[in-house]
Parts: sequence; structure tokens; C-alpha cells
Amino acid sequence: MAVCTGCSLLCDDIELECDDGKISLTKNLCRKGEGRYRSLREDRLVPAVDGVKVSFDEAISKAAEMLGDAENPLLFGWSNSTLEAQRIGIDLAKKLGATIDDTSSFCQGYLMEKVLRGEYPTCTLDEVRNFADVLIYWGSDPSSSQPRHMSRFSYFPRGEKRQRGYEEDRTAIAIDVRKSPTVVITADGFFRIPPGGDAEFIEALLAALGGKMPKVKDKKMKKKILKLGSTLRKAEFGVIFPGLGLIYSLKDEIDKLTPLITRLNEVASYKLIPMVGHYNMRGFNQTLLEETGHINRVSFKDGVEHGPQFAVTEAVNDCDALMVIGSDLISALPAAISRKVARIPTVAIDPHRNLTTDMARVTIPSALSGLEAGGSALRMDGVKIEFEPVIESGYRSDAEILSRIMEAV
Amino acid sequence: MAKVEVTIVTYRDIFQEEAKEIGRYSDEYRDLSALILLDRGDMKLIETEDGQTVQVDTDWGTVVVTAKLSEEDEEHPGLAFMPNSPWSNQLVSGDTGTSKIPEFKRIRAKVSATDKEVDTISDLVERIRAD
Repeated sequence: MAVCTGCSLLCDDIELECDDGKISLTKNLCRKGEGRYRSLREDRLVPAVDGVKVSFDEAISKAAEMLGDAENPLLFGWSNSTLEAQRIGIDLAKKLGATIDDTSSFCQGYLMEKVLRGEYPTCTLDEVRNFADVLIYWGSDPSSSQPRHMSRFSYFPRGEKRQRGYEEDRTAIAIDVRKSPTVVITADGFFRIPPGGDAEFIEALLAALGGKMPKVKDKKMKKKILKLGSTLRKAEFGVIFPGLGLIYSLKDEIDKLTPLITRLNEVASYKLIPMVGHYNMRGFNQTLLEETGHINRVSFKDGVEHGPQFAVTEAVNDCDALMVIGSDLISALPAAISRKVARIPTVAIDPHRNLTTDMARVTIPSALSGLEAGGSALRMDGVKIEFEPVIESGYRSDAEILSRIMEAV
Repeated sequence: MAKVEVTIVTYRDIFQEEAKEIGRYSDEYRDLSALILLDRGDMKLIETEDGQTVQVDTDWGTVVVTAKLSEEDEEHPGLAFMPNSPWSNQLVSGDTGTSKIPEFKRIRAKVSATDKEVDTISDLVERIRAD
């Protein structure tokens, strides 16, 4: 049995057969996971300096030199690295006096912080499967981003107290700006909102939960929200699964969600699990929180500092060397910011070639976690999943690469 | 050339996610990423049909992608959808405000018909490198 690191569900029921050291058959993978497995044979990165192929040791040596010589290095990525690699990465940042940030900085960070600090109630996905009866997919689309979420945990499966599954025991609600594949499944539970309309919807829902008329122009929608308020009040175990749609709508006004979470827990019982994309974003956030008191955007230049100036989108303005691990930063950022990244001397560590590795001065190939390298990671709900390598390859794990850089700095 | 103003919302697509896993340089990834889903009325306004190329302009960048007819049940003039990708990221503002999070899901843009070819990933890389 193998673990898929294709998303933060970390599916640990992947069956596979190997033939002559190569995977010949897989079972239980979703389409995204299947893509990750197929990627073993595609576009693998090679060690290189300034576009010239070098030995692995030479690449490590050059990376250490670049980072060690920098006055203001930035270490970014981490959400696709194991817990073991993340810990070494944080130590490396301390040693270098570097800024460290991860993908949560422009993703689920605001919500994850609330959950990790215990400000929002949460639960495990196993509890969702066993007990949840009202599910709210808010600005999230698990059918596209965490494809087995609904089948393994949230909607379709039978559970300890949900023996009749989705047909009778579960109510699914989707709040979105578009008819996503998840919306198609939730059908009547779809609430279409305009882009940026989340704060207004929260207000309307609060009114409905308080027995007041929601301030919504559309009469049909008004009626629907009132009915939703009644459904939400009856929940035995409700769970909100917020996605990037909600986060990007509220951003640093995420506190607008707090009165709703509070109100829902006055009338019933509600938990929240952020719909994390990358397989170990939560692991990095939790590890850095334990080390520094902050989940991301930290500088070790002068003790421990935290603030928006250390967000990757800002820090790229000041850094003189960049290390990117397990992330295609150039692809992920607006081109207006990627142009700045392209000018920074960069070390890129990744299993595959991508836009960031193509623009990096030093590239270091790494093993694909869960397939070629073992380790552990935190699932989106905080459950620790451990995995062993299932095939042999010459690629080093992230943890080994970072240890080597650490020694060489 | 007629132009239509839209707000673009980016989204994730399972087929595109799979193609991304396999490689960002593949034709499949481009075909599933370099897209804009438009309302039927908006397509009429710019005299474009499903499968034709359009140019999308913002204050931050320009990109040529394939126009697709949106499959939403309801009409949504002025609202368009693009898969999140380096193509959509050409259009996103570099201003990140106090949150330091880019505006990935509310991109104000102008869309017009064009005879140009869909931008390749290499075109995008060249533009990022050139500035």
C-alpha cells in the first residue's frame, strides 16, 4: 500500500504492482494522483549550474555558496516537502538568517492560522465520515482539487452514525460563484454568489440564523437563505470546508467569518477544515508555529520577526538570493511579480523541470515523496501520515538535499 | 475591434491539474490552461465563436487564449472564467494590498477577437525573462 502525495488528503490506500522496478499497475488513484505517478517518467530535473549540467555535489556546493554569501536570502516553498525536510529547512533559515515563507502565504494561511491557534473549532476527516450530517463546501471544489474528499470522507461514504450515507444522512451545500463539478453533486444545495459576495452572504446567513429577514434583493434567494438557516440549525455535526474562493474574497478580513462560526456553534455544532491543496502545507504551518509562534512570513535575520513584509510577494523585492523547494513559484505568481523573481539568483529543488527551475541558476533534482522517498506529513485535518518509498531511484529526498546544503553552508 | 469588459474568476480543473502534474510544457497542459469561458452574449458582442482565439488585456498584461462557451445554466454577462495557470497569471495585478495576496479571482479585463495564435508557455517565459 502506498501514500499519494498529490494533494493534502494523502490517500494511504493506493495499491500498486511493480514490474522490473517500474510501476505497472495502480488502484484507487484519482486522476490527479494518477498524473503524479505518471510524472515519474516525465520532465525530471537534472543538477545544473547556469544551464550547464553538473554533478549533484557541485550543484549542492554552488547552492550553499549562493545562499551563504547572500545578505538577505529567502527560502520559499515547503508545502510539497516532508515534515522532516521542513524541520531542516527551518534550521537552515535560522543558520542563514534568512526569510522563510510557504505557499500558505498566498493561499490558506489566514484560515489555517485560525485553526492551528484553536480559534476555529476543527475535527478530523475520519470524524467527518463517521458523524457529519451537514457539509458546507464554501468556495471550494473538492471534485477538482481534492478529488477523493467526497468519496473517502465527506459526502458519499457510510460512517458510524451515518449508515445511510449521502442518500439520506447527509446534506451538502455549496457556496460558489460558478457551477463547479462539486456544485453539480450538491445540486439543490447550491448558492450562487457574485465574485466577492462572500461577506454579504455571511451577513445574510447570520440574519437567517437569528430569525431575521436576510438583506438580499432576489426574493427567491431570500427564501432559500431562510431555509438554509433552518437546515443549518438542525445539524448534529456540521462541517465547513472553505476553499480559495472564500479566502481570496475575504483575505485579511477573514475575521468577518468569525461571527458566523460563533453563531453556528450557538445553535448547533460546527467544525471547519481548510481545503488545503499541497500535501503538507499544514505540516509547515504547524512546525513553524511551534518553532516561532507564527505559521509563515518569518525572518530570522534579527531573532524572529514576522510580518507582511516577509510574505513572498513582498520579500522578493529585497532578497538577494532565493531558494525554492517543491514549488513552481514563477507559474504561481502574477507575471508582474514573477518578473522580479526571474532576476533573483535562485536555487530550485524539485523533482521536475518547471518555469522556476528553468529560470534558476542552480537546479537540484529531488525524489518524488511517497514514491521515491519516505517521510511524514500532516493531512489537511492535521492527522500525521507516514510513508515509505515504494520504488527505488537514484534521487535524493528533500531532507537529504537540505542536510547537504546545511553542512556545506 | 469590439471589446467586452469582464471580471475573470480563476478556477481549478481536474483534467488540467492532471496535465500539470505530468508537465507544464506539454501541449495538453496548454490546451487545458490557455482558455477563457465566456457568456454566450459576451461572445456575440465580440463576434467570436466557441474555439476561436481571443486577446485578453488588463493593465498588467496581455494573453491570447481560446474562447469557450461557458456551460453555466444561467447567463452571466460580464463574468468570465479561466483555469488558474501561468496564462491567467499574466493578467493579475502586481499590487497585493495589505493582505499581500494577489487578486487571482477578480481580474478586470477586456476581451476581443483576434487572429493571433494561442500563446505558448515559451511565449510567456520569454515575456517574464525580457522585462
